[in-house]
Amino acid sequence: MLEFNATILAQIVDFVILLIFLRLVVYKPLCRLLANRSDHIANSIAAAEQERQEAEQLKAGYEAEMRRAREQAQEIVQKATRAGEDQALQIVSNAKNEAEKLKENAHAEIEREKQRAIAELRDQVATLSVLVAGKIIHKTISKDIQRSMIDDFIKEAGELQ
Amino acid sequence: MQLDLHHVEELLNFWGWPQSGTWELTLGGTQLLFNPKTLIMTWIVMGLVILFGLAATRSMDMRKPKGAQNILEMLWEFIGGLVRDNMDPKKGAALLSIVVTYFIFILFSNLIGLVPTLGSPTADYNTNLGLALCTFFLIYIFGIRYKGLGYFKHYVKPFALFLPINIIEDLAKPITLTFRLYGNIYAGEVLIAVLLGLLGGWIHVFGGFLASVVWLAFSIFVGCIQAFIFTMLSIVYVAQAVGGEH
Repeated sequence: MLEFNATILAQIVDFVILLIFLRLVVYKPLCRLLANRSDHIANSIAAAEQERQEAEQLKAGYEAEMRRAREQAQEIVQKATRAGEDQALQIVSNAKNEAEKLKENAHAEIEREKQRAIAELRDQVATLSVLVAGKIIHKTISKDIQRSMIDDFIKEAGELQ
Repeated sequence: MQLDLHHVEELLNFWGWPQSGTWELTLGGTQLLFNPKTLIMTWIVMGLVILFGLAATRSMDMRKPKGAQNILEMLWEFIGGLVRDNMDPKKGAALLSIVVTYFIFILFSNLIGLVPTLGSPTADYNTNLGLALCTFFLIYIFGIRYKGLGYFKHYVKPFALFLPINIIEDLAKPITLTFRLYGNIYAGEVLIAVLLGLLGGWIHVFGGFLASVVWLAFSIFVGCIQAFIFTMLSIVYVAQAVGGEH
């Protein structure tokens, strides 16, 4: 029923011819292409890896720098704040001192003026009194007497005070 | 209208190939007989495979594979994966191009038979036996190449009593490969012819056209599956010969 014949051999030969042809013309370039592609992919991955590492390094560097900068800025701000506070304190204390001094000066001035005014007043009062007294007794008094009288008067007036 | 298979085949013989009879060739006193239709269809299939191969490799692009190149790459990777799964990739490298050729050739052979008036080379058991014998030889070539003459020790394993069983097993391999493929493809072709024959008078009764379309679709599936099975089994057989104990 089954009739095998030389077609078997022909088909084996056909297959081998096809195989050889495909190996030479199709599979060889295909394998080369696939190898190229896997190489390319491997290279790309390696390059990407390396770039990522570099980027990470850069990032770490930048971050450290930023942290340092922030610390410095904080330090500067702190320093400035402290300096400002110190200055403010100093200014306030200076102002207080100044004010105190001014107040003292003013007090002294006032006291001085007061003394002067009192002295002048005494002088005036004494002179006036002497004049009045002179007018009253119509008598010229020698300068010496006048002086001694004035002094007496002043003394009295001083005691009156 | 009564149509029998041979009559339908005669009617479908649009190209006028020799349907029956043989080509004879006498070489050194030995008469060799060839089935003409099988050979012609094989040559057509070879031409198509070569065209496909050329189309796939004509303008290959590493970055953007397209068209036939994509299909070829997919095939290569897929069958390469099967080979790598079944055997040491270093040993499998030599096998890969052979089994990929198996797959493409058998697939094209199976599918060309679905075109009415054409026929599958694989619907002839001579073709299938030829291919199966290639696998049979490959088993021995690979076995001896990687195990030396020690390869033949597997016939007496686990012990000497298994010798006939092992021999039968080895002989069964090409025979099952042959007739699995032959049965599937030949049956498909016969049914295509029968359904086309039904078109003549019985289309309104049996829906011959619809049935034919459904059967063609199924035959595409069967053709792919059978090509895959032949390839896969060849890989497994060779892997068994190359690999460890079995």
